[in-house]
Amino acid sequence: MSVDQRLGEAGRMPADTRGTSRLSGETVTIGVIFALTVAMILGSRVISPAFGGWNQAETILYLASFLVFCSFGQGLVILVRGLDLSIASVITLGGVLTTTWLAGDNGDLVFILPAILVVCTLVGVASGIGVSLLKVPPFIMTMATGIIVYSLCLGVTRGTPRGYPAPVLNDVMRAELAGLPVPILVLAAFVAGGFLLQSYSTYGRRLYAVGNNPAAAHVVGLPTVRVTIGAYAISALCAGFTGIMLASYANGATLRMGDDYLLPSIAAVVVGGSSILGGKGNFLGTVGGAILLTTLATILSALGIEQGWKTIVEGGVILFALMVLREQVYEALRTWMGSERR
Amino acid sequence: MSLANPPLPARWRPIRLLTNGALLITGVYLILVVIYAATEASALSAYSIESLLNNSLPLMLAAAGQTFVILQGGFDLSVAGVISLANVIVAVVPVEGPWGALANFAMVVGIGLAVGAVNGLAVAYLRIQSIAATLATMMICKGISLLILQAPGGYVSEFMAYELTGSLFGQVSVAALIALAVALVWVVFRRTNTGLALFAVGRDANAAALSGINVRRTRFIAFCWAGVFYGAAGYMLAAQTSTGNPAAGDPFLLLCFAAVALGGTSFSGGAGGVIASLMGAATLMLMQKVLFSTGVSSFYTGVFQGTVMIVAVLLMTLVHMASRQRRAQR
Repeated sequence: MSVDQRLGEAGRMPADTRGTSRLSGETVTIGVIFALTVAMILGSRVISPAFGGWNQAETILYLASFLVFCSFGQGLVILVRGLDLSIASVITLGGVLTTTWLAGDNGDLVFILPAILVVCTLVGVASGIGVSLLKVPPFIMTMATGIIVYSLCLGVTRGTPRGYPAPVLNDVMRAELAGLPVPILVLAAFVAGGFLLQSYSTYGRRLYAVGNNPAAAHVVGLPTVRVTIGAYAISALCAGFTGIMLASYANGATLRMGDDYLLPSIAAVVVGGSSILGGKGNFLGTVGGAILLTTLATILSALGIEQGWKTIVEGGVILFALMVLREQVYEALRTWMGSERR
Repeated sequence: MSLANPPLPARWRPIRLLTNGALLITGVYLILVVIYAATEASALSAYSIESLLNNSLPLMLAAAGQTFVILQGGFDLSVAGVISLANVIVAVVPVEGPWGALANFAMVVGIGLAVGAVNGLAVAYLRIQSIAATLATMMICKGISLLILQAPGGYVSEFMAYELTGSLFGQVSVAALIALAVALVWVVFRRTNTGLALFAVGRDANAAALSGINVRRTRFIAFCWAGVFYGAAGYMLAAQTSTGNPAAGDPFLLLCFAAVALGGTSFSGGAGGVIASLMGAATLMLMQKVLFSTGVSSFYTGVFQGTVMIVAVLLMTLVHMASRQRRAQR
């Protein structure tokens, strides 16, 4: 075995990228993901002529919006080397509070909605304090808060959440503005805001700094504890928002409504090119990952194949995407392009 | 951090931490046993102990496997998929008799090994992030289990259902013997070259590579061990429930990480051990019984479980910090 092989990841020399066009891996990832999604939607025309059109794209965006909302928070937490496993429970919390506190009434909507979001955010603050101040591993901390929140939802509702969201919320979910469903417009605004926050705001840059090297970030005087707590708080806020939207969409809440979003939120972030080890990633990649996963699920459901095959194909696509979107592939591509030019 | 550490021989440091974690969690377990015995009259009957051990064993095996992957510095989500798959296969192709049970065991261990090898290839050689690669293999395994068995059903061989969940000569619980065997395997393994390499890679992959350790091979082997243990966990779960369920592995996903954390194994790799994880898993299962026996409303057991998990981890961090300081002063 050669020394180079034995060194493994440790002793690898980075590829020589001098003089090559520096197309960053992130940009390529995002491009590839969106191209794949569009290709899949267009390709689904083969299954049925009703597919592949704008209508289907609209449906997919509508369904993907829920995943995008909670994946944004998940992405921020992953960025600071964490993981948020409480997302499923906080979505449920948001949904259950929406139906029980509003109880099908428009009356106090303007007070109750912010109150719900504040309660959800507090769950995130608790997780953040546990992770950053008490040094509990994120995996355990968020899993524990998730279990606690779920158990409280279960106890308070006695197993069956009752009530309905405000009619106004149902109307919003069905309304159209300028020919587009309102939730899609909300999604567009959310993506723009999230992208700006993560990539261009001071807070966003601090998240990257803390994620890349917490010790260095601390030394240069960044408030690492506050930055970390903020990431968990935003994640819980987003999950609560997802819960409100889901409850309004489905006109009710269930205790398991968040379960379908926990693993996909992690998958969306990772497929979108972020490193699970933190410090690297882009929200647009996550959005692409979320839309890609939703497209895949929608098309597979439309095909009417067995649940087993559906799961296998979904897993296979994730594995395939991860293999293609590896950093080394870009490196190889770049070196290849470089040697061609010389 | 490395500067503050005492100049202990690197070889002994992880082992000392391990005994620490294992001792601590055993203490917590004993406290819970006392509470359980005080609140539940039949807690110490032979039947009750046997059923508790049988209930705990699948999670203990799963946590033991997960420990290998966490020690090298990663996560393995495929645990849920492999347990479901092993569980379903044992219930769909039951082979009677002791040799049949062995044949079934060979099947599930083979499957676990295969999935572990795929994970290992993806993570160690293709360098895909472990949590993402194993998420994909978990989904694929779950899908295959669903194809084999759409809904809970099937039955396991009588030998598995009765002998493996019973007691040897009516005295020693088979489950306890299996747990003991796993602990012994670990005690031997951690002293082998691969075992030492596992800790070294988890501590600092670069340093390990520079000192001549084959990092990729070590990571690969860790995933293979993990897969084997998940297969065994699914097998024992089937023996205990005597039926198959394509969703059987789902509850294990989070619980086995909780068990490893309770055992004090570091999630950043390089410190901890299988024995501590075995005790962590046993503690989690005992905790459920204690909550029930002390009359906590079943709706709210989660609140206690979550709180105990956080408190236990905090406690262990404190003890670790204290012992590290003491050593630093010496």
